[in-house]
Order: sequence, then C-alpha cells, then structure tokens
Amino acid sequence: MALKFPSVDFFRELARRMNADRATFEKLGFCDAVMGVRVLGKAPHLYALTFEVYDCTEVRELGDASEAELDFTLQAPAELWREMLESIRQHGQPAPQYTLNSLSHIGDRMQVVYEDPEGHDKLYRFMATIQAYFDNARDLEIEWA
Amino acid sequence: MSYYGTNDYSYNSDFALRVRDMKKGNLDLGWLDQARERFEVRPRDPRRGLEVSDCEVGPYAIDAMPEVIRDNRGITPRGAILPVSYQPDLGPTLNRKTDVWAYRVQRYWEEAVSRQWNVSTDVPWQDLAKYDIPLELEIAFCQLCTLLSEVEMIATDLPAKWSHHMNSYFQEVKGFISSQCLDEARHSEVFRKRALANGVGLLKASVRSEHALKGILEADSYSEGSVFLHVLGEGFILTLFRSSEFISPTPVEQRMFQLVMQDEARHVSYGLQHLKYLMDNAPEHRAQINLFLDEAEKLLTGLFNSEQLEAMIVLGGKGTKPENIRRGVEAVGAFQGKQILEYFQRCERAGLPERRDRSPLLELQHQMIAALQAAQA
Repeated sequence: MALKFPSVDFFRELARRMNADRATFEKLGFCDAVMGVRVLGKAPHLYALTFEVYDCTEVRELGDASEAELDFTLQAPAELWREMLESIRQHGQPAPQYTLNSLSHIGDRMQVVYEDPEGHDKLYRFMATIQAYFDNARDLEIEWA
Repeated sequence: MSYYGTNDYSYNSDFALRVRDMKKGNLDLGWLDQARERFEVRPRDPRRGLEVSDCEVGPYAIDAMPEVIRDNRGITPRGAILPVSYQPDLGPTLNRKTDVWAYRVQRYWEEAVSRQWNVSTDVPWQDLAKYDIPLELEIAFCQLCTLLSEVEMIATDLPAKWSHHMNSYFQEVKGFISSQCLDEARHSEVFRKRALANGVGLLKASVRSEHALKGILEADSYSEGSVFLHVLGEGFILTLFRSSEFISPTPVEQRMFQLVMQDEARHVSYGLQHLKYLMDNAPEHRAQINLFLDEAEKLLTGLFNSEQLEAMIVLGGKGTKPENIRRGVEAVGAFQGKQILEYFQRCERAGLPERRDRSPLLELQHQMIAALQAAQA
C-alpha cells in the first residue's frame, strides 16, 4: 500500500523499519536527538522525529509554536524531498548529490535551521544514523501529495 | 628510569612473611571491615546498559568532590578509600574542575564508545573499483587526504599529552579524551588508506600546516589547547569534512566522511561545553582565553596551504578547466564563510560573543578570497 508523502504515517513507517532493523542501528550507535523535518509548499508541514538510543521513538506533526524543542530542522521544498526520496528508491541509497549532507551543505536547497549550535552539531554527530533512517524508504511505495 | 622509590618491594621481608602466612590460610581480613555504605546502582535505561552517569552516587559522584582536588595526588579512582600518607605524587597539574570539566561529558563518553567504527570494514573499499575517477581528481583527493592525515596526528597527540596531567578523579574527561585519541588515530588511518587505495598515494605534506598544528600542541594550558583544538580547529575541520563529503568523487568517500564527521562533531561539542563550563564557573579566564584565541585564529590560517586549497578547488569544480576552477573557487569560498560563521556561533553559545568583533578571521578570509579571485582572473 502506498504511503502519502508528506505524512505522519510515512515517517512512522520509516521509524518502524528502523526499530525493526536492530543490527544496523546498534552498529551505528546511540542516537539522541529531536529532529525537525519541514516540507515547504502550498500546505507546509513540520514533523518532529525523536531518536533515542537505537530507535525512532516518536513521530509527530508540529505547529510552529513547538519548534523550540527541536535540536535542528531540515527544511526544503516538497519537490526536493521528492527528488531525494526518488534517488534513494532508485539506487537503494541516495546518489552523491542527494545525501542529507550534500543537500544541506552549500546553497539554499535544503536548509538546516537551529537555535543552538550544539543542537545543530547533533545533525553531524548522528549523520550516519539519520541518513540510514531516510534510506529505509528504498523500497517504499510513495504517493506524492 | 628516573624514579627512585622509597622502598625496594622485592626485598620487603615483612610482606614476604605475610605471603607465606597467607599461603598457609592465615588471612588477616581486616580490609573486610572497610566495607562502606552501599548504594543501589542500576541502569536507568536498560537499552543503554549501565552508564557512567548511573554510577554518579554518594562519594562516587563528581558533585561530591570539592572544586579543587588537593588530597589525591596519585591515580586513586574517585570514591575509593584514599591512603593519603603513603601515596606517591604523580604530579597532576589539572586539579581544578574548571580546568577540564564539560557539561554532559559523561554522555559524550558513552556516545563515543557506542559509535566506534572500523576503517578496514565499515568503508566499502571494494566499491572503489566500480568507479572511474579522472586522474586529476584522484590526485587532488589524495593531496587532501595527505593534509587530513597530517592534521589528525595532532588531534591524537593533544589529548594524549594532557591526560596524565589530569587528576584521576576526573575519570570521565580522561575517558572521553582517550576515546578521542582512538577516533583521531582512526581518522589518520582512513585518510592514509584512501590515499593509497587507488595507487596515487600520499602527496605533499605541509610545513605551513605543521606550524599551525604545533601551536595547538604547545598551548600553555589544557583549556587553551582544548579551545584551539576542539572549538576552533575541529570546528573548521568539521566543516571541511562536510565540504569533502559534498565534493567526494564517489559514494565510498562520502561514506568515509559521514563517519569521520560524526566523531569530529562530538569532539566539537565537548570543546564547546568545556569552554562554556569554564566561562560559567571561572570567568576570570575570559581575558586569557581571548588573548590566546587572538593568536590561535591567526595561526589557524596556516592550515589553508596552497596545495590543499587548490585541491579543494579542483575537487569542488570537478576539473581543471577554467569553468571548473570558477565553480571550485565559489564552492571553496562558500564553505570557508560557513566555517567562520559556525565558529562564531559556537563561541557565542560558550559565552564568548566578543570573538565576532575581535577575531582576525574575517579579514583574513577576505584577503584569501581576493587573492584566489585575482589569481583566476
């Protein structure tokens, strides 16, 4: 069954896959961060993904008022999220230009929004885990909003 | 050996007699009477196992220690019964908590242990053969790897240099910086292996960079060394790793940089939290740290040597044709701006917002970019 992107169900399915793949995520190590995913477009959405130890323990949709609790937010237009996820689905992992780091490093395609530099640094402390979380979309059937 | 002990234990006849007695089953058992108050220690979160922070109880807790440790001069673990009168003096010089401590250091230590990786097996080396990398890009990448392998040597040596100067009661800091030594040794290994993996090998080492790196190693205090290495140096290198992932020729190098950036970011976080702890609890050090950073920031520019910058430009523009170089110059200029911006943000978070106004880095960056642009015109 196709999952709609963006949606809470989509991110919960990635979380379910992460929590089921204990071997991969234990190998990567502890990951403790609350990450925001903002999808820009006609109807923007902001999701909070809570990572604890080896799991993604919570996925919620947030109003802007709740953003202060996030360590950092990855923010991009819906089309860019789609390109990234399509790349993951096509290759099993993102093509070099579609890794989270490459997308967010230079230019304004994907922005990293943060209040606290230590929260910002968590993106890099846990980069391999967060990338692996998104790579779980490799064989997901997605319905684009 | 220059140590002259007060006793030659090999000729201690009293102890030899005691051992003979013990072998006959005549035990003293007086030490059993030293059993102490018992504490319940168990994992707060079973998923994490028994963590360092779970053991912060009673006399074992860092908060039970005075601000300055005067009694322990040897290597007694915090909370153990301390036989002060006979303890050798191992000469710890970092005995004040503000000398070394960082907020959340226990968490960083646990994270470091949990997120270790293996250069030999966690980088998909076998995939390199799938990609045909143009020779000039491969050479540029190996030049970059040469510098990075060089830089990581100092990042291994600085924590190692200071560890034995730290009072043994600061076990969490000693544990964390030991994990950093292992991280940095691994980084030096991964860049060396990558330079060799496609046959080009290590290229030109940088005298200029080594002078800058010597400045880190020869800082006068641990806090100075930490702010130079962790906040300034590794902050810059973290952005360099991010850029290197961005311009990597293949997914193999991208994986390599994803893994090294995680370690580097953890070291930066420790350094930021040590600086913050120092500024919060010993603000009298502010002037000294600022004067030190005035020099350190100038010295750091030594890291940007011409081979490394040109290699980054060639990698960023994906070639040596004029249009490639133009694109490469733009990419390198963008990441250098980010290095400086993020460094100022970290300083501000740690309680040193004045770096933004007094730092020589912005002026130096402008000079460097202007020189690069003039060279390409």
